[in-house]
Amino acid sequence: MKKVIEVNNLTKEYKGVKAVDDLSFDVNEGEILGLLGPNGSGKSTTINSILSLLNYKSGNIKIFGKKMDTNAYDIKSKIGVVFQDVAVFDELTVYENIDYFCGLYITDKNKRKQYVSDALDLVGLKEFTKFRPKQLSGGLLRRLNIACGIAHKPKLIFLDEPTVAVDPQSRNNILDGIKKLRDNGATIVYTTHYMEEVEILCDRVIIIDKGKIIATGTVDELKNLSNIKEKVTVEVLDLSDKYIEEIMSLKNVDSVIYQNNELFVTYKKGKNNIVEMIDYFKNKRINYSKIFVERPTLNDVFLELTGKELRD
Amino acid sequence: MFLHNFIYALKILCKNKVLIFWTFAFPIILGTLFNLAFSNISNSEKLDVIDIAVAGENINSNFKESIDILSNKDNSDKLFNTKYVTLNEAKKLLDDEKIVGYIYNEKIVVKKSGIEQTIFKYVVDEINSKINMSSSIFQAEISKEIENGNYNINYELINKKVNDQLNTKVSLNDTSNKNLDYVMIEFYTLIAMACLYGSLLSMTCLNNIMPNMSNEGKRLSISKTKKVSLILSNLCASYLVQLVGLLILFTYTIFALHVNYGSNLIYIILLSLAGSLAGLSLGVVVSIKFKVGENAKIGILIGIVMFWCFLSGMMGITMKYIVDKNIPILNKINPANMITDGFYSLYYYDTLDRYLLNVISLIVFSLLLLVISILNLRRQKYDSI
Ligand SMILES: Nc1ncnc2c1ncn2[C@@H]1O[C@H](COP(=O)(O)OP(=O)(O)O)[C@@H](O)[C@H]1O
Ligand SMILES: [Mg+2]
Repeated sequence: MKKVIEVNNLTKEYKGVKAVDDLSFDVNEGEILGLLGPNGSGKSTTINSILSLLNYKSGNIKIFGKKMDTNAYDIKSKIGVVFQDVAVFDELTVYENIDYFCGLYITDKNKRKQYVSDALDLVGLKEFTKFRPKQLSGGLLRRLNIACGIAHKPKLIFLDEPTVAVDPQSRNNILDGIKKLRDNGATIVYTTHYMEEVEILCDRVIIIDKGKIIATGTVDELKNLSNIKEKVTVEVLDLSDKYIEEIMSLKNVDSVIYQNNELFVTYKKGKNNIVEMIDYFKNKRINYSKIFVERPTLNDVFLELTGKELRD
Repeated sequence: MFLHNFIYALKILCKNKVLIFWTFAFPIILGTLFNLAFSNISNSEKLDVIDIAVAGENINSNFKESIDILSNKDNSDKLFNTKYVTLNEAKKLLDDEKIVGYIYNEKIVVKKSGIEQTIFKYVVDEINSKINMSSSIFQAEISKEIENGNYNINYELINKKVNDQLNTKVSLNDTSNKNLDYVMIEFYTLIAMACLYGSLLSMTCLNNIMPNMSNEGKRLSISKTKKVSLILSNLCASYLVQLVGLLILFTYTIFALHVNYGSNLIYIILLSLAGSLAGLSLGVVVSIKFKVGENAKIGILIGIVMFWCFLSGMMGITMKYIVDKNIPILNKINPANMITDGFYSLYYYDTLDRYLLNVISLIVFSLLLLVISILNLRRQKYDSI
C-alpha cells in the first residue's frame, strides 16, 4: 500500500507544555483515517504541524514521499484542508468564497466553474450560491467551510472536526460527502471526538490522548482490544438484591450494575449471552419492559485504556 | 495568481461596510461639518476686523511696519484695529474685553482662546518669523562682506539682497487675503486623516491573510500561493482602494467645498501617494505588532490617527501652533502633520524646500515602519496559531 503521509516522532510543545508527544503514524492512499480523541488531545495541533503551519520541536513529516515544508508548493497544490474553525469571508457570497479558494489552485476559468459547481453539489448548497455566510445556519455554514477546502479536488484532504455543532441533517450530508470524496480517490484524514462518526466513516482509526497514540487499527480491531465483548441492558422494576447476586454468577458475566430500574450486564466472552438472560428472567417469572444487546463502543475501549470517558 | 488574489482582496475590502465608512464616508462627513462651521465664520467673523493693542514704547520698526500695513484702513484686507497704548492701558482694555489681545515686546497676550485669538497669534507669529529670518540673513550678508575683507559696507545693497532672498525663499502671506485662509489647514488635516485611515484597509488585508491572525489566513497560507504574492496583492488592493477614497475626497473638497490645494497637480499627487503610503505602513505595523482582535485594532488605529490629526490642527489650528512652538519634535515625527504641513507649504510658499522635506519625511516614516514589520511578514511557521 502506498503511503501518502508519513509522520515520524512528531513532538510539539506550546511554551514547554507538550501538546503532541512523539507521534508516529502513516496514512495509506485511498483510506479515511480517523484521528479520534477528546478535546485538547492534540488533534488540531497534529494537523497544523503536518501542514507546516506550526513550528514543531522535532519530527519528520513526508507527504507524497517528499519532505513537507512551507515552500513545498507542489505538495501544497494537492492538499485540501477544512479547519476546525470556519474560515470563510463574510464579505463574499457562498459562490465567491468557493471560487476564491478554488482559484488559488485552478486558474482555468471554465474548469474552475465546473469544480465550484461540483463542490456546491457535493455539500448541497446549490440553492444558496448568492447567500452571504452570515445568512447561513450553522450546519450550512459548516458545509460551505468544507466546500471551500475541497473544491479544487485535492488528492489529500484534512478535515478537522467538520461536524462540530451541526444539525443531524447537515451531519449526514457531510458524512456522505466525505465518503464520496474517498470513493473518487482522495485520501482523507478525519479528526473528531464523536466515536459514532468514526465507526461509520473511517477505514482505520488512531485513538489519541494527551498527545500520544494509545491505539491504532480498524474499528473492529479496536473493539476487540476491549475486555468487554458484549453488553446487555434490561429495563426492569424493583429487582431485589437476591436476583442481582444470582445474575452475577451466570455464565460469562463480568459485571452487573443496577440503577434507576436499569440493569447493565457486561460479558468478557461469548456470543448470544442475551439468550441466557432472557431464559433466566422467564424462569424466575420476572417481567421486564425492554432488553437489548450491544457490542462494546469505542468509548468503552477508550474508557478501558485511559480510565476516562471520550466525551466529558 | 496575483491578479486573482488582488481582485478578491478588492472585493473583500469594498464590501466591508465598517472600513468603507471610515475611509470613504467619514472624511466627507467631517469635511462637510467643517465647511458648515467655517462658512459661518467667514460670513460673520471673518470680515470683522480684530481689535488689538500694541503696548510699550520700544517697538521694533519692522514689526510696527507690518502691523501698520495690516491695520491700514485703505487696505481691503484690513485685519487689525490697532491702538498704541501703555502696558497698563492694554491690560485694562483686555480686561474690559475691548480688545482681543495685545502685543508687548513682540509677544502676544490674550485672555481667551477662540478663532480671533488664533488668527491674532498666527499672524503675529508669522510677522516675527519673517523679521527673524530677515535679520539673520542680514547678519549673514554682513559677516560675508567682512570675511571678504570689505569693511565699507553698502547697507542699501545688502538690504536689497536680503529682500531678494526673502522673496525667493519664503513669500510669506503678508497682507494678501491668504491670511484668512487659515481654515485651509483644517481641510489639509482632513486629507491627512483620510491618508492615514488607509491603515484600516492594510491592517484588515493583513489580518485576512496571516495564518496567526485569522482562519481565512490559515486557509490561504496552506494554499500553493506564495506568501510574498499574497501580501503584495493584498497591500496593492488596499492602496488602490485608499487612493480611490482620497480621489473622491479631493473631488468633493475642491468642487463642493472650494478648498484650495495650490495649483501644482503633480506635487499634490506625490504628497497624497506618500501620505497614503504612510497610512498603509501604519496599518501593517499595527496589524502585526498588536496581538488583539480586529475590532480592537480598528479602535487603536482610529485613536492614533485622530490624536495625530488633533496635534496637527484638525480640531483647531491653535493646537498646531502650540505644538510647533513648544514641542516641535512632536510634529516633526507626526505623519498627519507631515501631510498637513506639506499641503500648507505647497499653498503658502513658492519654494519647495519645506514641501519636499515633508514628502521625504513621510517616505522615511513609511519605510521605517515597513522594515520593522518585515521579519514578521516573512515568517512562515508559527509557534502557535
Ligand atoms: N495556541 C496555543 N497555545 C497554548 N496551548 C495550546 C494552543 N493551542 C492548543 N494548545 C493546547 O494544546 C493541547 C492540544 O490542543 P489541540 O491540538 O487544539 O487539541 P484538539 O484539537 O484535539 O482539541 C491542548 O491542551 C491545548 O490546550
Ligand atoms: Mg481541535
